[in-house]
Amino acid sequence: MKALTAAVGWKGASSLPFRDLAPPGLLVLLVVIVEIFAPGFVTRDTLLMVLGDTAVLFLLATAETFVILLGGIDLSIQSIASLASVLLAQLLPILGGFAYPVAILAGLVFGILSGIVHVRLRVPSFVATLATGGVVAGLALLAARGRAITIEEGGRAYTAFVNATLFGLPSVVLLSLAVGLAGFWVLRYTRFGRYSVAVGAGEPAAWAAGVNVNRTKITAFAVSGTLAALAGVVLAARLSSGSPSLANQLMLPAIAAVIVGGTAITGGLGNVGRTAVGALIISIVRVGMTFIGVNIFAENVVFGAMLIAAVAVTIDRSKIAIIK
Amino acid sequence: MATQTNSSSLPQPLTDRAVRRLGRKRITRAALRAYAPVAVLLVLGILIALANPNFIELRNLVRVANAAAVPLTIAMGTTFVILLGSIDLSAEGAVAVGAMVLVLLARNDANTHDFGWLAVLAAVAAGGIMGLVSGLVQTGLRIPSFMATLGTWFIGLGLATYMLGGSAVRLMDPALRGLALNRFAGLPVAVWVALGAFAVAAVIQTQTRLGRHILALGGGEDLAEYSGISPARVRLLAFTLAGLFYGVAGVLAASQLGQSNAVIGDGRLFAAVTAVVVGGTALTGGEGGVFNTLVGVLIVTVLSNGMVLLGVSPYVQQTVQGLMIIAAVALSLDRVRQTIVK
Repeated sequence: MKALTAAVGWKGASSLPFRDLAPPGLLVLLVVIVEIFAPGFVTRDTLLMVLGDTAVLFLLATAETFVILLGGIDLSIQSIASLASVLLAQLLPILGGFAYPVAILAGLVFGILSGIVHVRLRVPSFVATLATGGVVAGLALLAARGRAITIEEGGRAYTAFVNATLFGLPSVVLLSLAVGLAGFWVLRYTRFGRYSVAVGAGEPAAWAAGVNVNRTKITAFAVSGTLAALAGVVLAARLSSGSPSLANQLMLPAIAAVIVGGTAITGGLGNVGRTAVGALIISIVRVGMTFIGVNIFAENVVFGAMLIAAVAVTIDRSKIAIIK
Repeated sequence: MATQTNSSSLPQPLTDRAVRRLGRKRITRAALRAYAPVAVLLVLGILIALANPNFIELRNLVRVANAAAVPLTIAMGTTFVILLGSIDLSAEGAVAVGAMVLVLLARNDANTHDFGWLAVLAAVAAGGIMGLVSGLVQTGLRIPSFMATLGTWFIGLGLATYMLGGSAVRLMDPALRGLALNRFAGLPVAVWVALGAFAVAAVIQTQTRLGRHILALGGGEDLAEYSGISPARVRLLAFTLAGLFYGVAGVLAASQLGQSNAVIGDGRLFAAVTAVVVGGTALTGGEGGVFNTLVGVLIVTVLSNGMVLLGVSPYVQQTVQGLMIIAAVALSLDRVRQTIVK
């Protein structure tokens, strides 16, 4: 067995036990390091705060997981989240609580649009979503007239529940938990979930086996858009503000969370549980950087480097004939 | 990203010549495709001029040229990478780094450096290094370019934010400000610099071995490799070249803005990709080039100028550009060559 592992060489690093155990191991290690530098980190209150701050990142990363699992990428999630935040902030005074479904529905619509552009026009997903992301960003700017919109006193009655605590847990943590469990269930036990893994693992084989590849892809982009909008809505409610650039800094951490969690960028391998671990790693790194004294302005450097490192380790090179 | 292409198809650079041998009907179709962007540009210009004659005033045309300078310089770099069949998402990060290096080394209001034109050299070199890193990551770690450059995009952005302390630093060197403010033969110097970048790019594409190799690689990497081209070397050079253009663009952007901040590159990647794609360069690689991109940049700039003249909200511009990418890709992509689109 050992000889066999040696013979495959570097592939050993991306073999299953490593892929499964490395991210949780890294998470525990990071928590221990932060606790050493800042004793008192591992307390109920601090951990709940970290969980609460991770919620939006986790929702965005879950959105991205569905697309990356298929072997694609969604670069429009930040624009969709920002648009949803603007819609929520503007519609709360008019529609009250119904602003939530409207804002989230907008995400669904643009997710489906990305999917259709990608599948019907046969455009690579990163270009399709760069384009739809541009369309959405323009609409968000237009809807907000280029400004940030504060959710006034009247609207805050409808955002209070997002910032509330239920059963001793922040409600955003409960929401993330619900989305996480639903995502896990969908990917593991529904036909769509299994098809997603199949398409990501090998599109021609999935197609030959009768999987409706196009419908699976469009559904994945629809889920991604919906969850991105949900993240935008939660973010707006937490900050009591909606803005066309609200989520602009959140796409890279979200993609990094997916990859660091162990989902392969090449598709076919990964789930929402890994993404939860990845999102927590990103959060702890962010918290840890301030404790260890890394300048917060440099955090993008750290995330960019982590992204490259994680892709290099998790990528399945046997699936790519020519790396372009 | 297309990971499998039909290897039996010819490398694209050959098709033009092949088509010429194949009779009239094919010529008209190929010509139609090649000149469609030029026709779009002309029709667009005529329509806008009809709607608002101010468009063809000299003053407005200079404004269009000025607005096109930075996007043109960036898009030159992006074109070479897209010709390879890869994508470079790092433009915004590399432009931010170039602008940051220039402003911090030239006379500014944050430190006492005053290196003058040496700062320009350093800024261009810094852009080149960013490109080299993208290339090294992609070829060395064997990672798809969109992931490698997504990483370097944010590394560049983070570096610029960190070095500038999260704020804006003003450029105080009058000679460097002059790039944007001084005029030569009626046009701002920055426009001449951008035209120079275009000329360099045109020479590289048409007259050098690197240019031919990039096209060959984009047309069919396996064939190119069997013909003795080293893909890794060509990729490294192409990404570095792109980085150098981003460095120049960073210098121009900082000089136009009179300062540098980390968001100096915001929206530039999107504009560059739109210009390249609208100009008719295929995302699959091997087809198109810097001449297409020049037309593409002009289409994008003329359209946004026209929308301002016609009183359309500037916020719609991104939406229109997004729709343009979709339309252009839908019309130009040679889908027969692709088996899987990811």
